Amino acid sequence: MNTERIITMAKDLFREERALMRLDGWFLSKEIRMKHEGETVGMSESEAAGWLLKKVAEELPLSVSDNAIFVGTQRDAFARSYALINPSFKVESFAGYCDPTAVFGDIEPNEEITAERIRLVKAHDAETPYCRALADTYAACEDHTGEVAYFIEQVTGHVIPDVRPLLKFGSSHLLVEIRAKSPENDKQKQTYTAMCYALEALEIFASRYLAIVNGMKASAEGERLCELERLSSALSRVPREGARDLFEAIQSFMLIWQVMCIEQAPNPFAFSVGNADRIFEPYRGDVTREEASALLRHLLVFFNVGDRSWAISQNLIIGGRDVDGNDLTNETSYALLDAYYDMNLPQPILSVKLHKNTPEKLYRELGRFLFSAGVLTPSFFNDDALFEVLEKSGIETCDLPDYSVAGCQEPLIMGEDNANTTNSWLNLGKILELTLTNGVSAITGKRIIPPSGPEDFTERLKNIRPLFYANLRYFVSEMAKAANGAAYAVSRLPVPFLSCMMGGIEYGYDMRDTENQGTKYNGSGCLIHGLSAVSDSFIAIDALLEERPQDAEKLRTALLGNFEGEEELLAFLKACPKFGNNHPAADDEAAALANETADIVREEKNSLGNPFRPDFSTPSTHLLYDYWVGALPNGRAAREMLNYGTDPLAGDAHDGLGMRTLSAFRLPYEKMCGGYASHFGVDPNYFRADSLEGKGIEFRDKVMKPLFFNPYNEGKISPFYLYVNVTTPDILRKVLANPKKYAPGGVYIMRIHGTFVNFLDLSSAIQQDIIKRLNLKSTTGVSC
Amino acid sequence: MTLRILQKGFNYMQDGPGNRLIYHLCGCNMHCPWCSNPEGMATDSAAGKAYEVSDLAAEAKSCLPMFFDGGGVTLTGGEVCMQPDGALALLRELHEAGISCAIESNASSPRFPELLPYVDHIMVDFKHYDSDRLRRVTGIGNEQIKRNFTAAIKGGHYLHIRIPLIGHFNASEDEIAGFTAYFSSLDRSRFDVELLPYHAYGKDKWAKLGLPYRVTRAEVSEEIQAAFTAAFSAAGIKTVKT
Repeated sequence: MNTERIITMAKDLFREERALMRLDGWFLSKEIRMKHEGETVGMSESEAAGWLLKKVAEELPLSVSDNAIFVGTQRDAFARSYALINPSFKVESFAGYCDPTAVFGDIEPNEEITAERIRLVKAHDAETPYCRALADTYAACEDHTGEVAYFIEQVTGHVIPDVRPLLKFGSSHLLVEIRAKSPENDKQKQTYTAMCYALEALEIFASRYLAIVNGMKASAEGERLCELERLSSALSRVPREGARDLFEAIQSFMLIWQVMCIEQAPNPFAFSVGNADRIFEPYRGDVTREEASALLRHLLVFFNVGDRSWAISQNLIIGGRDVDGNDLTNETSYALLDAYYDMNLPQPILSVKLHKNTPEKLYRELGRFLFSAGVLTPSFFNDDALFEVLEKSGIETCDLPDYSVAGCQEPLIMGEDNANTTNSWLNLGKILELTLTNGVSAITGKRIIPPSGPEDFTERLKNIRPLFYANLRYFVSEMAKAANGAAYAVSRLPVPFLSCMMGGIEYGYDMRDTENQGTKYNGSGCLIHGLSAVSDSFIAIDALLEERPQDAEKLRTALLGNFEGEEELLAFLKACPKFGNNHPAADDEAAALANETADIVREEKNSLGNPFRPDFSTPSTHLLYDYWVGALPNGRAAREMLNYGTDPLAGDAHDGLGMRTLSAFRLPYEKMCGGYASHFGVDPNYFRADSLEGKGIEFRDKVMKPLFFNPYNEGKISPFYLYVNVTTPDILRKVLANPKKYAPGGVYIMRIHGTFVNFLDLSSAIQQDIIKRLNLKSTTGVSC
Repeated sequence: MTLRILQKGFNYMQDGPGNRLIYHLCGCNMHCPWCSNPEGMATDSAAGKAYEVSDLAAEAKSCLPMFFDGGGVTLTGGEVCMQPDGALALLRELHEAGISCAIESNASSPRFPELLPYVDHIMVDFKHYDSDRLRRVTGIGNEQIKRNFTAAIKGGHYLHIRIPLIGHFNASEDEIAGFTAYFSSLDRSRFDVELLPYHAYGKDKWAKLGLPYRVTRAEVSEEIQAAFTAAFSAAGIKTVKT
């Protein structure tokens, strides 16, 4: 294997992809579906979905690059839509992804794809049962979602398919298995038929690519001819049959992934691979780490779509343990790390599972990621803690090692779990504001909910907790109804191909079905915003009532006036104890709020009777939702940023990493079965080792071990998630001021929530948010 | 009783073993021109904040999960002995609670020995063996320091002695011999020495305070550091790097 050539080709392939300024495939696939819709009369929605996927497989234009050693692309599944990397994104005008026809605004008409063609498909789309159901759902809750007391969305992508059976046995084997099934009812029969169509679509894609490759062979020579012959040989076998080696496994995987994404086009964000090292290691054979890494570079490039890597939040994991605590890191884990480091691409995201027995070698090899400026950093998961959290939430022990991360940080079981992870979003900050104002928005003056409880403001302050929790229960209940409406809407778009990898063959139902459960595990996600902003507000109210009760009424006018002219009161509120400084009262309040909120959320059920999963993460949405929240008693001004995930409000924790870690220990992680988010902006000057490997060990000793594997914290469930950026605000400002100097290749990778981003691709608001959230005073040691 | 604290936070293996909660106390009786905390030189420094000793003790006890790898609490400065009563009270309470205690001191106070029964790790500065030279630059001679070293070692304590190596003050070839001679007069099994080459971390702080930063040409070459280490080693004096 000429690894040098393969690596060069991977880099050239990425450059080709970044030069791609149009993404038309998703539109063409919609048009193909529309054209053939008449053929589906009399079919169930599921059968129609499978049938139309076959038509897309037959007609979608395909091509193979001269730099490709594998075939397959995700570019036909994504539009140039994702807000955070969209240069036109503005916090003020962002309205969520609730309008499924908004994507038609993300394609520029040209001579081939005319405005009229776009108009026709859009008009057709708007009348589908899915769009109509979704529009009805949003209309019913717009009083609440307009100022984001909560938000809901239809969930696409956001699961972890189990590709292993398809890789191992091939689609032909699965087709035999499905055809041997004895359906118990018409729905199952239709679902199985749909799955067969969908698997046939996979084979059609493979045979069309094979024809292209065979055509290219005619004019190829030398090494390129050898590469094409190898590719041709692989495509003659996979994905129809089981893969025999690493090359065939990667090729099979890419085609499976391509079809899975096209099935949900446009924009099935946050599909995740799971433990890629465990998936591919069985096929590695005698391929060396270096050779495997060269091949895997092409897999990584596959996850980058178009000029800004629009297929965002797709996630690969390495590392981790089995149920007995044995480490599962393997040679492919390290080959993947090599590929990631050398390519340093904006996608796919890298996550690393850690546990008490994680080998020192892995920490050493992670040092280069953490301490090289502008290089991607993985997010970290604590297997020891997460196994406990998931087991308590009902996951069977045998499934625990297969937990993976859907998109950013939500832990799901690969191939078994449809968690509708981003189905609902809860804004504790807005609910507190409405509690203080007795139901009237401090932002717009609009009444959002009827008045309840005492009218006197001082009395409201005295009863702030019961009043808040009563409102919280009301909004969570309304949110769950709306979220279930969105889940029903999306169930009108069955996904038979994906269902084959999600337990559908065993259960006989589509994974999106809201009447019959098509996966082993199911739930609905609820992302909870504003934890410490609200808990710190409770603490500040207590202090005000105790220390200066005469100023209670003044707080009302101060909040409505956004503290203007009330600087002294504001200083008092800001000086009250805040979460994140190892202050018992402030930390206990945050824990109590997390506990109570999680319980209230979990009491709600989706249409299948499964609980909503509390997820204390805010994937940059703290920035969007804060815009609709008035001033709060913790001293946060109106429209200012809420806290990120379970973190302290930026700037409010200032006593360093140790104190912040101690505060983090107080939170009830066992209640966060939907996940949570936490970020440390770490000052590189805190680490002194001479080598990157040594700094990797130092990072283990100073950051990860104290937080994840602290011997004094045994008996409690430890934190289980962290992402970091090892940099300083000064460095980032320099990068922005002089990108040619600090990022000569135009790529400076940062982490933002669960995903990588090219810092230079971001909108200004997000860039400033990242700088602000580094908050180094909360995350470094003391230096005198 | 209160202690005025300039800064607090955790450090790993930097000011004593393991992960430690570091309290930087305000006030210093030396006036080293290279000081990296000039804002904390005054005991009543406005940059500091007064805490009740009982609150600090409660805070330290709540930090137990962070005292991993043999960690605990370190009192440093400024100079710990500038607030001796508060420091003593805090160390006594933490010691009784079973928390590993360390101090980092210039050891120039006659009250220094009072702290030692409650301390597990003693880090002391030794800036110059020549008392006059030390006095001219820092305002304090080394007679009491040497008495305290001798007493501590006789009392069975182990000292971790740090020399801040400052060019044109204590880091010439001649001075290697002077340091070696002094250390050779002590029981070499009861101490080790760490060299801390000059850094200018505090320079900006002096400017912010409107004070002149008078240190120039203070950098110390690696060759000189190596010569110190070699001379100490030849004399049987243990050197360490933390």
